Amino acid sequence: MRPQSRISRRTAAVTVSLVLAGGLAACGPESGDAAKGAGKAGAAGAPQKGGTLTVLNNEPQSDFDPARLYTSGGGNVPSLVFRTLTTRNRENGAAGTQVVPDLATDTGRPNADATEWTYTLKDGLKYEDGTPITSADIKYGIERSFAAELSGGAPYLRDWLVGGDTYQGPYKAASDGKKGKGLASILVPDAKTIVFKLRKPEGEFPFVATQTQFAPVPKAKDTGVKYEEHPVSSGPYKVTANENDGERLVLERNPHWDPKTDAERKAYPDKVDVRSGLDAAVINQRLSTSSGADAAAVTTDTNLGPAELAQIGGNKELAARVGTGHFGYVNYLAFNPKVKPFDNPKVRQAISYAINRTSVINAAGGSALAEPATTFLPEQAAFGFTKYDHFPAGKTGDPAKAKALLKEAGHPDGLTVTLTHSTAQNRQTSPEVATAVQQALAAAGITVKLEGLENNAFNERRWDAKNTPGFFLSRWGADWPSGAPFLAPIFDGRQIVTDGSNYNHAQLDDPAVNKEIDEIAKLTDLAAAAKRWGALDSKIGEQALDVPLFHPVYKRLVGKDVKNIVISDWTGVLDISQVAVK
Amino acid sequence: MTTAPTAAAPAAGTTTPAAGTARQVLRRLRHRPSAVLAGAVLALLVLLAAAAPLVAHLTGQDPNAFHDDLVDSARGGVPLGPFGGASADHWLGVEPGTGRDLLTRLLYGARISLLVALGATAVQVAVGLAAGLAAGLGNRLADTFISRLTEVMLALPMLILAIALTAVVPAGFPRPLLLILVIGLLGWGGTARVVRAQTLTLRSLDFVAAARLAGNGPLRIARRELLPSLAAPVITYAAILLPANIVVEASLSFLGVGVKPPTPSWGQMLSTAQTWFRADPMYVLLPAGLLFTTVLAFTVLGEAVRTALDPRESSRLRVGRTRGGARSRKERTP
Repeated sequence: MRPQSRISRRTAAVTVSLVLAGGLAACGPESGDAAKGAGKAGAAGAPQKGGTLTVLNNEPQSDFDPARLYTSGGGNVPSLVFRTLTTRNRENGAAGTQVVPDLATDTGRPNADATEWTYTLKDGLKYEDGTPITSADIKYGIERSFAAELSGGAPYLRDWLVGGDTYQGPYKAASDGKKGKGLASILVPDAKTIVFKLRKPEGEFPFVATQTQFAPVPKAKDTGVKYEEHPVSSGPYKVTANENDGERLVLERNPHWDPKTDAERKAYPDKVDVRSGLDAAVINQRLSTSSGADAAAVTTDTNLGPAELAQIGGNKELAARVGTGHFGYVNYLAFNPKVKPFDNPKVRQAISYAINRTSVINAAGGSALAEPATTFLPEQAAFGFTKYDHFPAGKTGDPAKAKALLKEAGHPDGLTVTLTHSTAQNRQTSPEVATAVQQALAAAGITVKLEGLENNAFNERRWDAKNTPGFFLSRWGADWPSGAPFLAPIFDGRQIVTDGSNYNHAQLDDPAVNKEIDEIAKLTDLAAAAKRWGALDSKIGEQALDVPLFHPVYKRLVGKDVKNIVISDWTGVLDISQVAVK
Repeated sequence: MTTAPTAAAPAAGTTTPAAGTARQVLRRLRHRPSAVLAGAVLALLVLLAAAAPLVAHLTGQDPNAFHDDLVDSARGGVPLGPFGGASADHWLGVEPGTGRDLLTRLLYGARISLLVALGATAVQVAVGLAAGLAAGLGNRLADTFISRLTEVMLALPMLILAIALTAVVPAGFPRPLLLILVIGLLGWGGTARVVRAQTLTLRSLDFVAAARLAGNGPLRIARRELLPSLAAPVITYAAILLPANIVVEASLSFLGVGVKPPTPSWGQMLSTAQTWFRADPMYVLLPAGLLFTTVLAFTVLGEAVRTALDPRESSRLRVGRTRGGARSRKERTP
């Protein structure tokens, strides 16, 4: 390893902190299909097996228990170790938003009203110790994720499974005093079959089955909170070293993983060496220098910032090593209509018209890192993207129209409002973006006072239903590529949480919207569902409850020997299971 | 960089009766080229800062106006053109990302830096004087209490406390005033200590004893007899505090708890500039260079004032005079 002393040391705040998925890395298109053949030196040529892939990360993988990971496959590195019933389609772009079978033979067979889902396991599935994977292990893996000491996973199963709301996990004694009680709504008629009984129709159950709670955990090997020190692998690699709570991880081949049972993971490198705790600037500098082991390195959590993009600029060699991806994400201006003057739709519309998306995007890092948004849903078919622009502001805003609306709203001399934002330098809810909004609204006669809060305080405020600010910067990312996890938490009136984290900032409780959300959930035809999510988004958009600002774009560097870079629209970042270094 | 620079406290512990007239001091300063230069730099800076609106008017630039057409959005918002986008309209270039005019932002930023530093120094000196005099003239109980309090103030991690304080104060409170109060009220310990030490020495001198015997109260003694003699060390100490306060303000703004955007300040500019030093060096060098120059000028001037106010300066042998007056003097005294 080369010394890194001459690298600019920036504060960690510079790290593009995206609160989303586990974080992965990114790059240009190349076929996701493996093709064996004579490889040439460098990044050219077909990918081949062998070599060591180095992962340079900022955040340590401090959670490595499948029960505690949130995103599909637990993000990038964990998905090399944990297989799940279904998984992401590991392909570039839109094809990558599909859900495909993993341990199961298909993506699930629903009953007539999508309240019961049945899966059958493939043949020949084994753990790293050679013992067979059974459906009972998957049931057990889900059950232990209900234990309070293994919290951290997504909340869907708790809500969906019959009895999920009261189940406490297998470690705690149930009401009859017996320990190790299972969830009656998960049935395992035989070692290969598993059936889930839901309390309401959920057509998108196959998406949830990509989460690591659906990874098999052998009951005999479960050590509770210590399980993450050595989780039993069902994937192509097993953990051979885990130092300093996930700061350094070494993964080596799992000899019992059979590639014939796994169409998704390519597993080219023999070894994966994950080193974290590095400064974002250091990671990008090391990747761009690409000397020694860093030539075969990627990052699964560090994006390029605007200054780094400017520096790469005309350098063709470096630019060719930058991967670009689109994750389903929106940054928006949120209103709380309970606070004056935002109770008046005309005021909200005026602000929608006045916004200058060019300035906002420049503040967010420029057109390479952010794309203008007029819809709440990301611009992807999987989400049901339906183009609309109810209050067209053009590229730089329409202050005249905004002024006219303000006059109609009874503010002929303009008005003064407070915009709440975070002081974290994330270029999303940060002072830069807030200042760009402030400048744009000034042209329309709206004086914006900025209220900058420390990031934790800011999140507490915006998620506190009783004390939500009237006007603030917010953002939302998808748990899986569909309209459901995008629109329901934000606009479903029954998801207004008064004593916890509330994401329905506008506190919209519209019976028609709630009903439509329930109706779409019944659909198992995901394409039909997507269409209706798009229509619902456009309909809600008419109320101007928010001003969509931009969808972020992820840019990440890879080392010069890295091949077969696949970036799906599901994660927006490089898929580590496809990467080859030979 | 955060706590007061107590180490360089003024002119030794010896008694210093009133140190010559203001004219004498000025004359001594004039004979030091470094002091003249530092003074000139600072005068120019203060002038430009004061005239910031005029400069903005002359160049036709608003420090907060965005110029989306002057940055390359596809390349992270780097200013178009060489030298950070310097042009006839934007003499020092523009800010990456926003395209805001750098010259006017630097000058408006200078106003914040200087205003906060001067204000905070004034508060530190005022509180420090009051506390030091009260400790020096009061009874043993008052002295013990104030001295311990002073030690606590000196021991407090100023920057951390300042961050905490600026974070809890309501958003409506004027930010520059808040910074002045926070820095001022946290950083008076050094002044208080110096004043107390001087007061204790002065108190035992004949002219103070005479004033006390004449029936004067402690307030009158402090005002009539002590303050003139305290002027020299206090002014010297203030000259040391001032650049330190500029740095504290810049640090707070750097950490995002200083003045609120879009108001520019040097610390805030440095904070956003730190990632840009390779892609757009001008953006980093301008505020950094200005901050460096200002702090250096104040430090040089402070040192010169300290020497000029030294009563022994006039009686010193001119032969072999060195810049490090304090040390060479010490070596000579038995």
